[in-house]
Amino acid sequence: MNQQLLTSLSEQYASTNHWAVLWPEIALALLAVLVLLVDLFTGKVKALAVPLVAIVGQIAVLFALLFKASCEFEGSGVLFSGMILPSNLSEVMRIFFVLASILVSWLGMVYLKKQYLPRMEFYCLTLLVTAAMMLLAQSANFVMLFVALETVTIGFYVLVSYGRNSAFSLEGGLKYLVLGGTSTAILLFGIVLLYGIGGNPNLPAHTTDSLNFAALEGFLAANADNFIAKIGVVLVICGICFKIGAVPFQIWIPDVYQGAPTPVTAFLAVSSKAAGFIVLINLVMGPFAPMKELTVPLLSAIAVVTILFGNLTAIGQRNVKRVIGLSGVAHAGYLLLGVVALCKGIELGAWAIIFYLFTYLFGSFAVFGVMAQVAGVDDENQDVDHYIDLARRQPFLAGVLAIGLGSLAGIPPLAGFIGKVFLFIVAFQAELYTLLGAAITGVVISIYYYFGWIREAYYKPQSWPTDKPVQPMQVCVGHKVALAALAIVTVLLGFYQGAFGSGF
Amino acid sequence: MQDFFFYLFSALTVLSALLVVVNPNAVNGAMYMILSFIGMAVLFLLLDAFFLAVLQVLVYAGAVMVLFLFIIMLLDVERASKVRPKALSTAAALVGFGLLVVGLGYLFLGGGSVTPAELSAAPEIPMQDGGTNPMEFATASRSFGYGLFTKYMLPFQVTGFLLLIAMMGVIVLSKRLGPSGQEEPTTEAVK
Repeated sequence: MNQQLLTSLSEQYASTNHWAVLWPEIALALLAVLVLLVDLFTGKVKALAVPLVAIVGQIAVLFALLFKASCEFEGSGVLFSGMILPSNLSEVMRIFFVLASILVSWLGMVYLKKQYLPRMEFYCLTLLVTAAMMLLAQSANFVMLFVALETVTIGFYVLVSYGRNSAFSLEGGLKYLVLGGTSTAILLFGIVLLYGIGGNPNLPAHTTDSLNFAALEGFLAANADNFIAKIGVVLVICGICFKIGAVPFQIWIPDVYQGAPTPVTAFLAVSSKAAGFIVLINLVMGPFAPMKELTVPLLSAIAVVTILFGNLTAIGQRNVKRVIGLSGVAHAGYLLLGVVALCKGIELGAWAIIFYLFTYLFGSFAVFGVMAQVAGVDDENQDVDHYIDLARRQPFLAGVLAIGLGSLAGIPPLAGFIGKVFLFIVAFQAELYTLLGAAITGVVISIYYYFGWIREAYYKPQSWPTDKPVQPMQVCVGHKVALAALAIVTVLLGFYQGAFGSGF
Repeated sequence: MQDFFFYLFSALTVLSALLVVVNPNAVNGAMYMILSFIGMAVLFLLLDAFFLAVLQVLVYAGAVMVLFLFIIMLLDVERASKVRPKALSTAAALVGFGLLVVGLGYLFLGGGSVTPAELSAAPEIPMQDGGTNPMEFATASRSFGYGLFTKYMLPFQVTGFLLLIAMMGVIVLSKRLGPSGQEEPTTEAVK
């Protein structure tokens, strides 16, 4: 009997384990192991060799992804017994996560040069977390989703407290650990409720595999007004909202963003938020699609509060990492507009979100790149005041800063403007007029604090001594090239959007 | 007989869980937590979930609680036990508790639950699911093993990397670094 069971198991399940489909994730995981080995076997040159291996390896993966978009496989399309469901969206998000990871490694190189800290582990953790995010973007089963999400989250607990010489970093790590643990519990409770109710044999369309997204969608379509199912959906959405930093789950953002090392702040702001959104997109397009009556009002309310809260609280901040954090809350609010439109059946919403995420990536990393250069040894103390007169000390950095912040604020003709326009178009198509009003109010408010920062960089205050000598800053050529590339892409995406633009 | 054991061990679980919260001494609280976990393990036994019951005792009542006790002994418990919660947080906790009671009452008394008549009318758990689900519904530890190495192979492998991250994190956050060590800054800005 056992032999028979084994044969049928391997026929049904093991035969769908096409590992080749996951080659980018496996490549990143192997690269992480390679980084460990390089650190072990190189002597004096390891400070140079480790980041080199990590960054060059990731660039190779990125090019492989760009030029051979996906590995074809034979079969029915079921992968890993339904754990994994690649789509066009997840292919694009793979490129997004690798790109972000390369930039994080580059910022990490700038940051770690100034600190008494372990080096190699940073790159290794970044690689593994990125691989887990790529799996997260493709998961079609709650078991896979939860395991990948926990890998990402535990990696971030370590990365946030990486600067352990700083009390702020440890405080941020502790807060992220406690609040992240709570949010994981909420998410897991939601998943368990959905699993339990989906397997109830008394209900119509019950299923034995209710953790699978497709099976759960069938169940929820037949039981859209079941009370326990509704609670489960709300709890799962709450758990995801913590990751994207939507109000009322934004409470951790300012302290964690300030305390975390600058590259990790960038990683949190861009990749972690994008991972949360891709999960949310997969959920509202898949299993939660029948629950439209519940998800649309819930996410709309969260979006309005998030946009207004993020922008209003960012006004009063002087620490630039807190400004970025709280304005990131507002950006999550704008992106939720796209998610709500998607709930209402506007398929284009997903692409609007992804394009916005790309513009957010380029704009944010331009700003973070400048921040990493301007920052001193005290990584957590980066005030707007440190940027006074930056245009004279280092005109190049000030220019990149202005382009990055302008894109985040949504000033035409930069990429951020087009990203916001796309989101507003899908929101308009979905007839979300109240949300649009809130979003436009939010954008207007955000111009105040973004331009306050640019003003510090370009204009001296009255009290500034006129005879103070200008201290030029040294920026090495490699960093200049990277920053210039980010700025140029930000400008170019404003004029030409390629395949993204033709959909609108 | 089964009903009697169910009520006995449910009462044990809930009461000892309450004592964990109420007890001012942290070590005693941890001991009551072990009791609560054992009560829960027996509830699993009554549901024929033998494997879960064993795991509950081994992992939670055993390994996790030893870790808890270590941490309690390392921390300064005397000072922590003197901290009294603020009136506002007490009020918020009471409101939350009230809402939870109302919600649960609605779930189980307001028609959300399954009546005994419905329960006995419910069909047996579908074993083979028309051939699409070859994994028999079983509680033996062997069936968990089959599942892990066929259907759940990918999450199982990812869990391995999760543990690698956790291990590396512990090393990063606790390894000793000296200014003379290898990991010093390389720019002039610091020196």
